[in-house]
Amino acid sequence: MPAADLDQTLTALADPDRRRTINLLRERPHAAGELARALDLPAPAMSRHLRVLRQSGLVEEEHPRFDARVRIYSLRLEPMVGLKAWLEETERLWADQLGAFKRYLETDPRDTHGV
Amino acid sequence: MASRVLVAMRVKVAPARAFEAFTEEIAAWWRPSGLFQFTPKDSGALRFEPGVGGRFLMGQSDGAEFEIGRISRWDPPTELVFSWRQHSFTPEQSTTVSVRFEPVGEETRVTVEHTGWDGIPRRHAARHGFPLAAFQLRHAEWWQILLASLHARVKGS
Repeated sequence: MPAADLDQTLTALADPDRRRTINLLRERPHAAGELARALDLPAPAMSRHLRVLRQSGLVEEEHPRFDARVRIYSLRLEPMVGLKAWLEETERLWADQLGAFKRYLETDPRDTHGV
Repeated sequence: MASRVLVAMRVKVAPARAFEAFTEEIAAWWRPSGLFQFTPKDSGALRFEPGVGGRFLMGQSDGAEFEIGRISRWDPPTELVFSWRQHSFTPEQSTTVSVRFEPVGEETRVTVEHTGWDGIPRRHAARHGFPLAAFQLRHAEWWQILLASLHARVKGS
């Protein structure tokens, strides 16, 4: 993650109510109203917090098809699902597999793999 | 190339033995990976058909075999190149794995280079490539790291 993004992320998370919001969203997506009730915050304060979280890229907003007035907030998976994530996982895979390959080769084959 | 993964490891055998074990005995050492299942029915029984044009196959729980890819280079004991597709890729999506075996004294350096991931769209990666639960687990780890760095930042200021 670039340093500028990290700064923005950390600023967004520096507020305790925003951290509580994130913790709620870690469980599942919530409507803005639900969040305000759970955190016992007035709607305008909740809106401000959600705006900061959205601008930092941590949280995304969508409207359910049945009601455009309702806003549902969820954590963004994007930071984890880009190309970088694929590459990290691929690297981890091969490091694991080559480790297994090495252990296999360096174990005496007559002991464990003889036919 | 930006989307290249390069992993190398040294093994205490000669290149010929390493090449043989990598190809003929892959089922004996390959570890099943939750993130890199080729299909939902992987049995774990991987095998190569030796030679250029040979298939790289994953056995299925119903006895069938899934073609992961084809060998495009088969040069024992120095190099092996094959294509790599998971069942969730679209037909035109593929990645390439190149494995090199270089002698280092009595040992062999095995280098795996896996390229072509930039051809796999992100959305695809997110929704289909990895099992969702595994992704969520990684996501949770990411959050832990983030929160730990926040904590460090707050304490340091």
